[in-house]
Amino acid sequence: MSQDNSNSDGIATANDTAAGPQSGRRDRPLVGDDVVLSYSGTDEPVIDGESITAEPGAVTALVGPNGSGKSTLLKGLANQLEPEAGSVLLDGQDIQTMGTKAIARKLGLLSQESTSPNSISVEDLVYHGRYPHRGFFDSVTEEDEAAVERAIDLAGCGHLREREVGSLSGGQKQLAWIAMVLAQDTDVLLLDEPTTFLDLHHQLEVMEIIETLRDESDITIVVVLHDIEQAARLADRMVALKDGEIQARGRPEDVVTEQLLAEVFEIEAEVSATAQGPRVNPIRARHDGDEHAAGDDSAEPDRAEEIVAE
Amino acid sequence: MASETRGATDVLSRARTWLGTFDGSLIGLCVASVAVAFVAGLLQVSFGAYSMTILEAWQAVFDPKVLFSVQAWQSFFFGTELPELPKRTLIVWNIRMPRVIVAVLAGMCLAVSGAIFQAVTRNELASPFILGVSSGAGLTVLLTLVLFSSLAPFLPLFAAIGGSIAFLLVYMIAWKGGTSPVRLVLAGVIVNMVFTSLQRGLFFFADDLGVVQSALAWITGSLTGVGWEEFRIAVIPTLAATLLALAGARQLNLLLLGEETANSLGMSVERVRFMLSAVAILAASTAISVAGIIGFFGLVVPHIVRLIVGSDYRRLLIGCVFVGPALMVVADVGARLALNPAQVPVGVVTGVVGGPYFLYLMRRQEQMGEI
Repeated sequence: MSQDNSNSDGIATANDTAAGPQSGRRDRPLVGDDVVLSYSGTDEPVIDGESITAEPGAVTALVGPNGSGKSTLLKGLANQLEPEAGSVLLDGQDIQTMGTKAIARKLGLLSQESTSPNSISVEDLVYHGRYPHRGFFDSVTEEDEAAVERAIDLAGCGHLREREVGSLSGGQKQLAWIAMVLAQDTDVLLLDEPTTFLDLHHQLEVMEIIETLRDESDITIVVVLHDIEQAARLADRMVALKDGEIQARGRPEDVVTEQLLAEVFEIEAEVSATAQGPRVNPIRARHDGDEHAAGDDSAEPDRAEEIVAE
Repeated sequence: MASETRGATDVLSRARTWLGTFDGSLIGLCVASVAVAFVAGLLQVSFGAYSMTILEAWQAVFDPKVLFSVQAWQSFFFGTELPELPKRTLIVWNIRMPRVIVAVLAGMCLAVSGAIFQAVTRNELASPFILGVSSGAGLTVLLTLVLFSSLAPFLPLFAAIGGSIAFLLVYMIAWKGGTSPVRLVLAGVIVNMVFTSLQRGLFFFADDLGVVQSALAWITGSLTGVGWEEFRIAVIPTLAATLLALAGARQLNLLLLGEETANSLGMSVERVRFMLSAVAILAASTAISVAGIIGFFGLVVPHIVRLIVGSDYRRLLIGCVFVGPALMVVADVGARLALNPAQVPVGVVTGVVGGPYFLYLMRRQEQMGEI
């Protein structure tokens, strides 16, 4: 249980370790090496041999259109989907050879859709995040309590702790779930579309949590985001996927270009650089054979926006 | 000012929620269950073919000749010779009391079993009956009774084997890269149908009418004629299954969050499911081996408890441990005394009451199935 305590304290020891991120395995907290991922019952792999390295202590955003395989890739990295070939390395160790609890102590995953009984309280839900740190008969320790407090505080859902999850709004629920993953106290955090379906207020709140995590701890975050502008604002590095292939990777200002938007997202858009990263002004959807459509860019901006924000 | 009052009401509401959801309802439920079981148990020992007054029954229950007699307790627990007792005491302690106690054990087992199955399958409709465990265990019990009557002491074991086989069959039929509530129920219907037919077929191999009648009682679920021997068969597996279930409450709670979440929190979901199912099968088989197939009980009791204490399995299971016995003793009072002097199997009572409840659930819930 207590192995690697110095490393797995994520939030707590943020500041001391942030100073020396070069130390040993910290360099490569999560690496997908030539992974092939597919779902049972389908012949074609969704991801056919892609490699990805999560930037240590930073936010890596996976973006791409619907069905581009970004969530699948995340599932593969989270050991929710066993790769047919290739390997996923967590702290330099092949994730397949690790025990499930050992993985969960180092890597947290927030799935896209989470279900829970309606009558569970937020606090009880967050305590479930301590599961990988507890043995079968262990009761709650002070360490568990501290981690839960920290997580609730960080996720800003202290005012909800006694509420039943069933009575919360979608945004509040998401905060509760984020608190649960934070209570897991991991070095690596994977978030699958944490802002989708939330109202703007809660979208921003979730983004602020991620920013806080990046600034005040050395947690490595990989996040799938639907909204490319949001991703550009939030991420230190972006990885763009289309049809299961990584099309571009790098800093947001290098990835978010008019050319990439055209190729990957099949939209025509104007990209302007701002202090908060590149801004995307979607103009219209491109269709096959639309090679020189730049001329009528005023056409139906609303529709294009819908597609991006979908 | 405003923030002060808000702080105060916050503390108040917190205290209230804490009392209300954590302790109040559960303690109330447990106390009420004990009271109900006690009253029903007293009715059960007081009335019957040999009539005595309530006062006489009380005197018999608290007869020091039993309460302080090592020999008597040895006889109950280990099946040794009973000491000389007055007639009333003998009837109360040797005939009526064990029936109440076995009802307590069976009720506990079925309620706990149903609760576990509902979490493992994340299906509100799951119960040992619906998942085929009952019919599988019933089949092996009948096989033992009709064909291998010398193996009767191993009934719980055979019942557990039969129950496991049936459950695995149901799971295999329902499995299609995962299961869904509806597919599980349908698979359960299929397996139940086959196993029930086999049970009926067995009747034709019975030598005499007595065997047929007792076999019929098994299939319907009856506590008629159970004695200390059934208590001795059931007590250890019941305690074991209940304790294991309570120990697994946190795992059950986590399973309610869905396979994916449980997985990402480091649970070996399939293994935990398998082990908890084994506990549930043990519990159901224990009840079946002493009381036959008592329908609807394992489905309905966890529901009633959930309505009162919520879905936290620590509370739910504790509630089941109390409510199950209480309702089973009550149902058995109905079975034994309602049509006095005729007795009906207790499974008839639970079916008649449980069926409409099931219907009520079905009508009330739009999204039926998932917890």
